[in-house]
Amino acid sequence: MAFLEVEDLKKTYSTGEEALKGVTFSIESRDFVSIIGPSGGGKSTLLRCINRLVEPTSGRILFKGQEVNSLNSKELKRIRRSIGMIFQEFNLIDRMSVIQNVLTGRLGYTGLWRSLLGKFHKHDVERAAEICERVGMKDHIYKRADELSGGQRQRVGIARAIIQSPDFLLVDEPTSSLDIKIQHEVMDLIHKISKEDEVPVLISIHNVELAKEYAARIIGLQDGKKVFEGTAKEVDRKALDTIYKYD
Amino acid sequence: MIEERKVNQTKMMLQKRNGGLLGYLLYTLILIIILWCAHAIIVVETDWNRMGNLQQIATTILRFFPPNVRFLPKLIDPVLETFIIAVLGTALAIILSIPVSWFAARNITPYFPITYPIGRFIMTISRSVHEIVWALIFVSALGLGAFPGIMAIGMRSIGFMSKLTAEEIENVDKGPIEAIEATGANKLQVIRYGIVPQIIPLFLGNAIFQWDINIRRASIMGIVGAGGIGIVFSVQMAMYNYHNAMSTIIAILILVAIGEFISNRLRMLII
Repeated sequence: MAFLEVEDLKKTYSTGEEALKGVTFSIESRDFVSIIGPSGGGKSTLLRCINRLVEPTSGRILFKGQEVNSLNSKELKRIRRSIGMIFQEFNLIDRMSVIQNVLTGRLGYTGLWRSLLGKFHKHDVERAAEICERVGMKDHIYKRADELSGGQRQRVGIARAIIQSPDFLLVDEPTSSLDIKIQHEVMDLIHKISKEDEVPVLISIHNVELAKEYAARIIGLQDGKKVFEGTAKEVDRKALDTIYKYD
Repeated sequence: MIEERKVNQTKMMLQKRNGGLLGYLLYTLILIIILWCAHAIIVVETDWNRMGNLQQIATTILRFFPPNVRFLPKLIDPVLETFIIAVLGTALAIILSIPVSWFAARNITPYFPITYPIGRFIMTISRSVHEIVWALIFVSALGLGAFPGIMAIGMRSIGFMSKLTAEEIENVDKGPIEAIEATGANKLQVIRYGIVPQIIPLFLGNAIFQWDINIRRASIMGIVGAGGIGIVFSVQMAMYNYHNAMSTIIAILILVAIGEFISNRLRMLII
């Protein structure tokens, strides 16, 4: 049984736009898979369908054998808290400090009153501090998120995802808003965590070279359809032409 | 090509000419309407004899001067009461505007067909009814004094506060909301962490602004018996104590000025 199975996934928005036209692939439990393809090809939509931030129109998604589409909201929250997500625009809470932002990763595990009052479990707070150190943000724990640089913000985003102790990481173009040098730092961090914590990763990357450098497997998405699947080595000139062809 | 350009140029010239003429006509029409209105309501309906000539008008105004300085100490208590009415009324409005904004915000209202209209309805009522009318309502229900004043200010301020807050809630950045949802948080947690931090600065700014306005409101509501310094002014005028009335006006001015100063400073701190 594969870790994640996506079968004939389709998404048509209410505007009529067909973002996904039947995508099928699967992920094993040690995978580091990257999705590449032209902008607007459906990469973001695909990722968001997996944790149902976007509702798929049709198709099946099986996460550890469980069908994600038919879950009710309580079960969906259970699944979501075991999937960590990292965003292109970081999506931190600007006015809150680094450590508070990281703690929001535990909301799926924290009771209502505790979370409304901001009194997370002591154990969680300690873990948050440890994780901040792990992502290299030890000296910035109390800084407000909007005082950080782009690379620092993404580290906080990564920390927030890891504190969930996730079984899976969904990563949406984590480096597109960052400088080249920082891009490698962030990708190194994600890759390291994936290996150390044995967490499979599905990551959409805009930069093909970056994708080839870090991902063992590559999926090419173009205009809502999977047009390529193979190892990084197999992404040659011909493959790129197929994925990025200009009509 | 060239013909097209010529046609466009001629069009522009005509528009300018025409636009100019039309503009003048419009302004003249508006002026005529204003003059006619002024005539119909002011000129015809005013008792010009009562006002007298310019000298008589000046004498009437001078009756208020100089303000009676010895009356000022008697104004300290009413001024304090006005201030407190404004503070408590604003506090009440802040508390009540939280559920109202929640209901009136399209994206987080609990059950759109019912709660959204309720929220909007309360907002509209609050803003449509003038504070003096609110004061009259509460004075007739609760009797004279500061309590109806506080209630009136509370009810009047909800509308403004929740309207701006609800709009702000509807315009929040969706990214952080997505991120919090992705952690498995429930609706309330999403509101608490995804939305509230984004709207707090505006909410507080509005609250301070409303407090400033409410000082003015509290000052006059006393005239209809809702506590504060308004009743003092009313009584002095009724007793023809114009100098005392002037002192009261000055006391109100000072109070409002202090309120403005404090509110400006506080708002700068928040931003």
